Amino acid sequence: MVRFENVGMRYGLGPEVLRDISFNLLPGSFHFLTGPTGAGKSSLLKLLALSHRPSRGLITLFNKEVSSLARDDLPAMRRKIGVVYQDFRLLDHLSALDNVALPLKLAGAKNDQIYQHVAELLEWVGLGRQVDAKPPTLSGGEKQRVAIARAVINRPQLLIADEPTGSMDAEMGLRLMYLLQELNKIGTTVVVATHDLELISRFGNPVMYLKDGLLTTRAQDNPPPKESKDPA
Amino acid sequence: MIQFFGKSAELQLEKDVSTRYLPVVISAMIFLAALSIGGLFSLSKAISDWSETLTGNLTVEIAFDPTADLDKKVTDAVELLSATPGVAAARAIEQEETLKLLEPFLGKNAALGELPVPRLIEVIIAEDSAIDLAALNKKLVEAVPAARLDIHRPWLDKMVLLGRSIQLLAAGIMLLIGCVTVIIVIFAVRTGLIMHSEVIQVLHLIGARDNYIAEQFQNYFSRLSFLGALPGLIVAIIVMFIFNFLVSSLEASMLPPLSVGIEGAIALLLLPVLVALLTKYTVRQVVLKSLRRMM
Ligand SMILES: Nc1ncnc2c1ncn2[C@@H]1O[C@H](COP(=O)(O)OP(=O)(O)OP(=O)(O)O)[C@@H](O)[C@H]1O
Ligand SMILES: [Mg+2]
Repeated sequence: MVRFENVGMRYGLGPEVLRDISFNLLPGSFHFLTGPTGAGKSSLLKLLALSHRPSRGLITLFNKEVSSLARDDLPAMRRKIGVVYQDFRLLDHLSALDNVALPLKLAGAKNDQIYQHVAELLEWVGLGRQVDAKPPTLSGGEKQRVAIARAVINRPQLLIADEPTGSMDAEMGLRLMYLLQELNKIGTTVVVATHDLELISRFGNPVMYLKDGLLTTRAQDNPPPKESKDPA
Repeated sequence: MIQFFGKSAELQLEKDVSTRYLPVVISAMIFLAALSIGGLFSLSKAISDWSETLTGNLTVEIAFDPTADLDKKVTDAVELLSATPGVAAARAIEQEETLKLLEPFLGKNAALGELPVPRLIEVIIAEDSAIDLAALNKKLVEAVPAARLDIHRPWLDKMVLLGRSIQLLAAGIMLLIGCVTVIIVIFAVRTGLIMHSEVIQVLHLIGARDNYIAEQFQNYFSRLSFLGALPGLIVAIIVMFIFNFLVSSLEASMLPPLSVGIEGAIALLLLPVLVALLTKYTVRQVVLKSLRRMM
C-alpha cells in the first residue's frame, strides 16, 4: 500500500528534514506517527499526501512509484487519499457543507447524491446546526471536524490525519478516532500523527516514532520483503 | 449574463476587487482597435476604388492636327484598341459630345473643326484583366502617331502607396494593442493566482485537475474581457458615425467618409469575441504554467 525506501526530504535548499525513512504500510493497517515537535511528522505526511516530492529515495503508493507518475495521473491518485491537515485548510468562503462536498464534486458526483450524504456526515460529527456556517465563524474544534468530514467523505483508501483531535475536548476526540477506526475496518489504511500519548495507548495501534527526521521505531507489522500484490 | 461563461465555484474570483480594472482597460483597447479596424477597412475600400479608376477607365487622346484625317486616325485607334485582349470596349467620343464637355469653357456656338480640340476615345478595360498599359501605349503610338493613352497612373500610384502605408500602420497598431492586452491580462491573472494561492493549493491537493482550476480562471477573465469590450466597441462605432456626419457636412472635403463594408462590420463585431478568446488562451497558458510548478 505504502512503501518508503531511503526517503529524504528538504524544503527548497534547506537541510534535510527527513532522512533515510524506510517503512511499509499494509493495506488496512492503522498507524500512529508521533515524535517531538519539529521532528518532521507533518513533512512525512506531506509526502504521503502527494503534496511534496522527496529529495531522494523511492515512495510507492498504491503499487505505483510516485516519481514515475505522469502529472495527469496525480489527481486521480489524490482522490484516493483523504487528508486532515494540521491547519485544516478549509475554503473560507464556502459553507461547511460545500467544503465537505468538494471532494465529491471534484470526483464528478452528481449534486443530488452529494448533499444528502454530506449533511448526514456533518450531523454525525456534531455539526448538524453549522452546515451553512463559513469556516471563519467556526471554533477550532468545529473546523477540525469539518476538515475530518472532508477527508473521509469519499471513503479514501488512504487516510492521513495530522493532529486530527488536537483542537477539541477528549470526548469529541475519541468520537472522531472511532470514526477513523470505523473507516479502517472497512479497509482504509490510516496514518494519524499525534502528540497525544494517551490516545496512542488507548488504541494500541502500531506506532512510528520520528525524531530529528529519522524514523526510530519502525512499523511493527513489517511484512516479509517480497510483498504479495496489494488488494487495493 | 454573469452566468454565461460559467462561474468560478470554488475560487470565487467574482469577489476580487483587484481585477475590476481589467474591463476598463480592455474597453480602451477595444476602442482603439475598433478605430484602427475602421481605418483599415475604409482605406482598403478607398484603395480598391482608386485602383479601379486606375485600370477600369482610360482615355485615348488624339492630338488635333488640321492637316491630318482625324476621323481615320480615330477609326484606326478604335480598331486597334478593340482588338487588344483585356479591353472590353473602345468607343470614339463624338465631337458634339466633346464640345458639350467643353461648353462651359468655350461658349455655345464654337464652330466644329475650327478649334484645336483633340479627339477622344473612351476605353473600358475588362474586369480582372492584367493589362500592360505602357505596352499598349507604345503599340498605339506606333500605329497612330498622334495618339496618346492618358493614364492617371503616377498620381494615383502615390495615393495607393500612401493608403497602403496607412493600412500597414493600422495593422501595426492592432498588433500593438493585441500585445498590450495580452500583457495586461497576464498581470491580472498573476495577481489572481497569488491572491488565491491557498485555495488553489487546497483544490489541487483534494484532487482537482489543472484543467478544472484553469477553467475557473479563464472563464472569469474572458467574461471580464468580453463585457469590457462591448462599451469600447459601441463608443468607437458612435465616434465613427460622428466622423462621417462631420465629413458629409463639410461639402468639398478631401476626406472620404469611413465606410468599412461588410467585412469591416464583421471584423468589428467579432472584436469582442476575439478579445475574449485571446484572453481565454492567455489565461489558460499562465495558469497551467503556474500549476505545473506544484507537484
Ligand atoms: N514549508 C516549510 N519550509 C521550510 N521548512 C519547513 C517547512 N515546513 C516545515 N519545515 C521545517 O521542517 C521541520 C519539520 O517540520 P514538521 O512540520 O514536519 O514538524 P512536525 O513534526 O509536524 O512538528 P509539529 O509536531 O510541531 O507539528 C521543522 O524543522 C520545520 O522548521
Ligand atoms: Mg506537524
